Amino acid sequence: MLLLASYIFYGLWNPPLVLLLWISTMVDWTAGKKLSVEQNERKRKMWLILSMCVNLGFLAFFKYRDFLLDNFTTVVNTYGYGYKSQPMDIILPMGISFYTFQTMSYTIDMYKRKIEPAKTFLDFALYVTFFPQLVAGPIVRAQDLITQFYEEKKATANQFIWGVFLLTIGLFQKVVMADTFLSGTADKVFGSDKLLHGVDAWVGTLAFSGQIFFDFAGYSTCAIGIALMLGIILPDNFKYPYASLGFSDLWKRWHITLSSWLRDYLYIPLGGNRHGILRLYVALMVTMLIGGLWHGAAWTFIVWGGLHGTYLILERLQRQYLPFKITAWNGMFLAFITFSCVNITWVFFRARKFETAWNMIKSMFYMQTEGEKILDTFTIIKVSAVVAILFLCHWFMRNTSLKEVSLKISPWTLGIVWAIMLFLVIISQGSGEQFIYFQF
Amino acid sequence: MKLKQSFIVAIVLALLSIVAWEFYWRSQGHLPNIDDNKNLWANQRAKLKDIKENTVVFIGSSRILYDIQLDIWKKETQTDPVMIAAQGASPIPIFKDIVENTDFKGTLIAGITPPLLFSTTYPEAEFMSRPQFLVDYYKNRTYAQIINHKLSIPLQKNLAFIRDGDEAWDSDVDLKTLLKQIHFGERGEPVFPPFYNFEDITLDRHMKMPERMVTDTAYASTVKKVWKAILGGDMPPPDKESTINAFVELSKKFINKGGNLILVRCPSSGLFKDIESKAFSREENWDVLVEKSGAKAYNYQDYEQFQNLFLPEWSHLATKDAQFFTRELIKIMQSEGALTNSKTN
Repeated sequence: MLLLASYIFYGLWNPPLVLLLWISTMVDWTAGKKLSVEQNERKRKMWLILSMCVNLGFLAFFKYRDFLLDNFTTVVNTYGYGYKSQPMDIILPMGISFYTFQTMSYTIDMYKRKIEPAKTFLDFALYVTFFPQLVAGPIVRAQDLITQFYEEKKATANQFIWGVFLLTIGLFQKVVMADTFLSGTADKVFGSDKLLHGVDAWVGTLAFSGQIFFDFAGYSTCAIGIALMLGIILPDNFKYPYASLGFSDLWKRWHITLSSWLRDYLYIPLGGNRHGILRLYVALMVTMLIGGLWHGAAWTFIVWGGLHGTYLILERLQRQYLPFKITAWNGMFLAFITFSCVNITWVFFRARKFETAWNMIKSMFYMQTEGEKILDTFTIIKVSAVVAILFLCHWFMRNTSLKEVSLKISPWTLGIVWAIMLFLVIISQGSGEQFIYFQF
Repeated sequence: MKLKQSFIVAIVLALLSIVAWEFYWRSQGHLPNIDDNKNLWANQRAKLKDIKENTVVFIGSSRILYDIQLDIWKKETQTDPVMIAAQGASPIPIFKDIVENTDFKGTLIAGITPPLLFSTTYPEAEFMSRPQFLVDYYKNRTYAQIINHKLSIPLQKNLAFIRDGDEAWDSDVDLKTLLKQIHFGERGEPVFPPFYNFEDITLDRHMKMPERMVTDTAYASTVKKVWKAILGGDMPPPDKESTINAFVELSKKFINKGGNLILVRCPSSGLFKDIESKAFSREENWDVLVEKSGAKAYNYQDYEQFQNLFLPEWSHLATKDAQFFTRELIKIMQSEGALTNSKTN
C-alpha cells in the first residue's frame, strides 16, 4: 500500500520518470542480491561497479550533462575550434540526487558486507521510494529503514500526534518563516542587477541563510512527521546548525544524512585521517567539492563546497597550532563567527552568476562606496530580528531537543504555541509550490 | 507530556482564530472569490486541444477580460468562448502559442491595449514574460498542481481570507502582503501603494468588475493610485516597429491557416486615455497594425455609443457598461459579418 502510494506520489509530478525509479530499484536490488551470495571478489566488484555506473550515469545524464557540455565547449573553444553545443533541455527528475545516493548506500554496504540484503523486493522498492523522504531526504541508510518495513507498522496515538506536531513545525518553517518572512528579501537582493549598499547585501544574505535553513529543515521535519504518523521513524537531518562551534560541528548538524553519507562513502574511502595530514586535507577538500557539486551543476556550488573545505582545513590547523578551550563565554562568540563565515558561503550558493556573488561580497565588506539602498527599514528590521531569533534559538537548543523541551512545558503552553503556528501557516497561504532542495 | 491535551488546545484555538480572521476580513468588505491564476488560464487553454466548430478564442490583456462579458457573448452569438487573455500582458506570446501549437483556425479576437502590445518584444520584460509563463505552465503543469487547484476551489469560493493568485494584485489579505504594507523611514525604493483586489471571476474566466468598485469610490481610488505609480515610473520608449512586425507575422500565419482574426481596442479613460493618446498615438500604432495585419478591427473610439462608458479605475469597464459594450460590439460585428461562426437568435 505504502509502495503504491509512493509511486502515485511521484507520478503526480511526472509519470514517465517513475521509470527511472524502477530502473534504479531493479539494478540495486539485483546487485544487492548478487553481492549477498557471490564469493568471487572480482565478480562482486563488477556488481558494485554496475550499480555505481547506473546511478551515477543517471545523475551525470540528467543533472550534469549540460554543465559538462558547457565546460567542454568552453575548453575546446579556447583552442579556436568554434564548437557549438546543443543543450538538450532535459527535465531534472525531482529528488534524483537523494534517491540515487540512498540506493548506492545499500549496494556499497552490501559490498562491504555491512548489512543483510532486504528480505523481499517490495521492502527494497519501498526503501528506494518511501514517499515522505523520496524527493528531498533525509537520505536514510538501509539498516535504519528497510528493517522497519518487515512488520506491519501502525503509529501509536502519541506517535501520530507528535507526527502531526512535527508536520506543523515543518510547514511553519517553510510557509511562514522561509516563504513569508525571508524569501522576498533574498530574491530581491540576489535578483538585483545593482551594486548594493553593505547593509542590503548583508541583510539579503542573512535572509537567504534563514530561508534555506527553514526551507530545507522544514521539508525534513515534515518528512519525519509524516513518516511518524505512519509509525516509521526517520533520522534527524538538522540539529540547530547555526549554533555550531566550528565547521566540523556544523557538518554534524546541517543536512546530517548527506554529510554522514559523504563521510562514510567518500571521505573515509579517500583515506580520511589515516594517511597523514596532507592526505587528510586532500580528502576533506575533495569531499566538500563533490558535496558542492551534489547540490547543483554550476561552478558557484563548487566554490561553495571549496570554501567549506577550506574552512575545515583552517579549523584543523587552528586546533593543531592555536588550540583553546571552548567555554560558555567564548562559545557564543565562536558560534557567531562560524555563522558569519557560513553566511559568506551562502552568497556563492544563492547567486546564479559569479559576477553577482562577487558584487555581493564586495558590498558586504564595504568595498562599494556608493551602493544602492534597495531595502526599506522595516524589511531590514524584520529580517534581522528573524535571523537573530533563529541564531539564539539554535544556541539555546544546541544541547537539547524539541522532545525534551516539550516534556518540560505545560500541555497548555505547547497547545498555544502549536495553535499560533497553525494560524500563521493558514493565514500565510504560501504559494511556494516547491522546496529549494527539490532542484538538487 | 500530555500530547492529546495539547493537540485539542491547538485545534480549538487555531479554529477560533481562523473564524475570527474570516469574520474580520468580511467586516472589511472582502468576500470569498476565485483568483484568476495560472491554473484557471491553463484550464481554458486546455480547451484548445478539443476545438469545437463554434469556438471563439479571446486573447489580449485584462481589458478584454473585463470588458467582454462571456455569458452575453455566448447567448447572443451561440458560440463557445474560450477566454485566454492574460492580465498585464502583451498578446504576442499567447498568439504565438495558438499559431504554433494548436490547430485552431476559427475566430480569434485579440484585445489590443496599446501600452502592453506596442512597448516591447523583449522576452524578459514583464508584459512578455508573464503570458509566456502561463504558456509554459500549461505545457508543464503536473497532476499534483491540477489536483491542488481543484482542491483549492471550494476554499476560495467559501473563505474570504483565502487567496490563490500569482500576481501582486491578487494578494491583499495574506500575511506576506500585509507585512509588505508596513513602512517607516525613507530608506529603500519608492513605496508602491497597496494593490487591492478587484476581481470577480468564474472558473471559465468570466470576469466582472466587483460592485464595490462602483459604489465605493475610495476603494476605486486605491487602484487609480496604483496606476498613477506605474504610469509615473520610468518606462523604456515604445518599440513600435518590432512589436507590430511580430504581431503581423503571427496574424499572417493565422489568416493563412484559414483563421478569422479580429482586433478590438477596448475603452480607457482618465490618465490611461491621456497617456495612450500621447505615447501610443492611434495613427502610428493601431492604424498601422490594422493595415499591416489584414485583420478586421474595431476601435471603441469609432463608435458613438462607446464614448461615455464608466471605467471606475480608468482601465476596465464597470459590469453594466461591460454588458452594454459586449452587446453592442456583437451587433456591430454581426452586422459586418465579422463573426463567421456565430448564429443569431
